[in-house]
Amino acid sequence: MRTKLNVIEPKTALNRILDALERELIDASDEEILEAAKDLGMNPLMKGSAAFLGLHTLSFAEFFESDALREVLARARTMQIAAATQLEPEGEARQPTPKRAIERKGAADK
Amino acid sequence: MPQIPQLADDRVLNTAETALALKLISRMDFLRLKTIARWHARGLPPDVAWDDLLQEALTRVIVGSRRKPEAVSMVAFLAGIMRSLRAEHWRRARGGPDSRETLRIDHQDLSRAAALRDPAADLEHALIAGEQLVAIEQLFAGDSVALRILAGLGEGHSAAQIRAALKISKTEYDSARKRMRRALLREGLTCAQN
Repeated sequence: MRTKLNVIEPKTALNRILDALERELIDASDEEILEAAKDLGMNPLMKGSAAFLGLHTLSFAEFFESDALREVLARARTMQIAAATQLEPEGEARQPTPKRAIERKGAADK
Repeated sequence: MPQIPQLADDRVLNTAETALALKLISRMDFLRLKTIARWHARGLPPDVAWDDLLQEALTRVIVGSRRKPEAVSMVAFLAGIMRSLRAEHWRRARGGPDSRETLRIDHQDLSRAAALRDPAADLEHALIAGEQLVAIEQLFAGDSVALRILAGLGEGHSAAQIRAALKISKTEYDSARKRMRRALLREGLTCAQN
């Protein structure tokens, strides 16, 4: 048996492969679909899962209630916190306010 | 002044949502069909997207132009429609019997319509098929057994013939098919372009 597909006429080989492996997808169990989705970081059991993208449209209400949106917002918040932490100088103690600066105005008058 | 009744939902359902609402398919079937549609779209030019294929198949079932036999599951039936849509596309592109591209021959002894064949369509089909075979091989790169099974399927061999040629047991064969199925599902569930 050959090991390269391009020896046969490509159209014929492709049609045979598409038809033969279509059966595999029809017979795939729910568990196999969930496992494959998990590999991609998707959870089809969640409302608004990315696995359904392209299959149906979400209403505004569904979109704002979706787990996908919550996940994006949570990720954005984490990134915001991480960015804010990086901006603060590490290990640098807060500089004491110069004594003169906290002296009350007019203290010298006393 | 007459009031227009307010609709419960102002969205227009697409065919996939309608199929779901009518309980023709489950949500998991929905995903199964997405992977099958993406798989069949591999045999088509880039301007025909997988969702066109799926929506068309669902439409044919919903409007009743295709009727499902009792013994066949809805997923298998829809997959069959998508398969025939793929074949129909190329038949039309080539100018086959279903094509509208015909030339009327008016001759005293010969009066009939001759189908016009477009040789460019055959070339395009061959090019797309070649590219897709390479892409499919890449899906199973690193899995030599899967690649050899693929080659066997491409040559039109049965499972038993492939097992005999590769000298592998039924368990090894089934295990390889399971790995292939997982790779196909992973690819089918993404939203990336093929």
